[in-house]
Amino acid sequence: MRLADDPEVADFRAEFSAFLDANLPAEGEARDRSRSSAHVPDWARRWQRTLFDAGWLLPGQRPEFGGRGATLPQQLAYLEELARRRIYHSFNPQGLGIIAASLITFGTEEQKRRWAVPILRAEITAALGMSEPEAGSDLASLRTRAVLDGDTFTVNGQKIWTSGAHDADVLLTFVRTDPDAPKHKGISALLIPTATEGVVRRPFGSIAAADDLDFNEVFFTDVRVARENLVGPLNEGWRVANGSLGHERTLLWLSFAERLEDLVQDAADVGAGQEWYATLLMDLQALRLLGYRQLGPDRDPAELSVLKLLGSEAVQSASLHALEAHGADGLPHPAGTGPYHHMNNEAFISSWFERYARSFAGTIAGGTSEIQRNIVAERILGLPR
Amino acid sequence: MEFELDEDQQLLRRTVRETVAKVRGRPEDQQWSTYRRLGWLEAPPLELALILEELGYAADPTPFLATATWFAPLTGRLPEGSGTAVFDGTGRYVLDADRADEVALLTPDGVVVVPGAELAVRRIPVLDPNLHLAQVEAVEAGALAEGVPDLALTGLAATAVGACRRILDLTLDHVKRRVQFGRPLGSFQAVKHKAADMHVAIERARALTHFSALTIAEDDPRRTRAAHMAKAAAGECQRLVFRHGLQLFGAMGFTWENELQYHLKRAQACDLLLGTASAHRKALLAS
Repeated sequence: MRLADDPEVADFRAEFSAFLDANLPAEGEARDRSRSSAHVPDWARRWQRTLFDAGWLLPGQRPEFGGRGATLPQQLAYLEELARRRIYHSFNPQGLGIIAASLITFGTEEQKRRWAVPILRAEITAALGMSEPEAGSDLASLRTRAVLDGDTFTVNGQKIWTSGAHDADVLLTFVRTDPDAPKHKGISALLIPTATEGVVRRPFGSIAAADDLDFNEVFFTDVRVARENLVGPLNEGWRVANGSLGHERTLLWLSFAERLEDLVQDAADVGAGQEWYATLLMDLQALRLLGYRQLGPDRDPAELSVLKLLGSEAVQSASLHALEAHGADGLPHPAGTGPYHHMNNEAFISSWFERYARSFAGTIAGGTSEIQRNIVAERILGLPR
Repeated sequence: MEFELDEDQQLLRRTVRETVAKVRGRPEDQQWSTYRRLGWLEAPPLELALILEELGYAADPTPFLATATWFAPLTGRLPEGSGTAVFDGTGRYVLDADRADEVALLTPDGVVVVPGAELAVRRIPVLDPNLHLAQVEAVEAGALAEGVPDLALTGLAATAVGACRRILDLTLDHVKRRVQFGRPLGSFQAVKHKAADMHVAIERARALTHFSALTIAEDDPRRTRAAHMAKAAAGECQRLVFRHGLQLFGAMGFTWENELQYHLKRAQACDLLLGTASAHRKALLAS
């Protein structure tokens, strides 16, 4: 245990810092805003490609996939440097972190060439089709059906909460390919181009605004998908889902740490002298410490549930305190509550209400807090199911 | 930074855990001489936090905490026998003052060490029957200064974390065995979720306690802030763990016969001593 960075991490951090200083897009170039998690403005596509070419897009990957074989602590340092400057490496985070990452792990060489690299180079964007109206927390009960006949699947069914689907070129879709198998064993992963006949996407507004369009319903009616778009073996989609999300989960806590850090800055005035502000500082410090610890070898993945609970609930609690601390000044909406950063203006354009409301994404998406508590109780504390 | 216990520290924790379990129930002076003989009092801050967590787990009756985290940081040495210190400017509720061989007094002119036998001291009955707290009376007004060592706060935090872990373990054991409505209590979600929250609170407080010990070990400029964080987090943790633990234990936890009471009281006492969670949240904001 020690406070200082490992020299390997310190050097890595310094190198990336220097790269950012030399290559960040100027404010004038970065005017167009991203309107969904799969909409990437032209300047941001150029930025993502610059990172890819330099091996700074997904540093943990090999060079042909925009990386440099970085260790986990180095990847953390990389993300911290981005967060400190409030910038993103991509405006299609799931495309990069989940879909391209899954293809690199589970895909064929052809799939990597045809889909993963273009996603990484921001030539196309991707969205993730997992949840369904009847399959949320109980994801493995999904019912969207894919029937294989010769070399073609025919897909029928519906997804929901598919972030950015209306702006995405391709969906990594989890479908039921064997309805007779136990529910975890009859699922497969398919790449479905959104332009395919029979795919209908309907974006709908969030609690923040009617025109805040990121969520989608996606309907599949007799959609024909070539067998070559199957990712991983037939009926092993659950393994793909766990593998791809697992990668994302290891560092998911960092996104909560970033939000807490933003709150530390943006709520400093109303938080002065308030005990909840001290709790916010403590939550942030504790989350970082437990997150760093999780980078060590042989960690139990169930401990990630502790991090998600702690992080997501701390963000929620601090956001509510910040909203309440403003009293009637918390009413204006839309309103800005953070400084302007040309590559990340989320706080700049979000009211305190919106920041509080959005904190529920943390306690609902990616396994609700209730599910996380079950995981902690059953897998860590050994309570009976 | 790197936030994992190294192999030596993990080994130390295992050894301490085993030793404490082995000497448990033996006469107090035997426990005390065992700990001294093993050199635990000389442990550096992080290792000391690990030891104190295990002693907190066992509701330790010896003067270890006061000797290692009250006397030692004030004087820069270990006492002959046991020691404690008066550093709150009042001499009230001084840990182990009634049985310490040496007492360090923080005065406006510096630290003065007095043999315990020469001080007029009155033990005060407190909620934790195993804890020695005493009023140091023979000190003139204005003769004492205030300066609570970071290590004293960290030591109480580590002790509280240990006590909370014990409360959780006892509670888990209870809800796994106790069957009602044909099912173990622990299979009900309302019970699971409280247990999970206890675990998260303990992890949070323990992380901040280790961080505090680490900043002391490296004499990092954040050490005083880190000590406030650790003490506040341990207090918040005990508040939740006490409430959920006693609640989940049902009526059994409400009895004198059940050992749960000792750990609830140790945890509660650690919060009340040297400033509650609320006091340290305020101190953190002011620092």
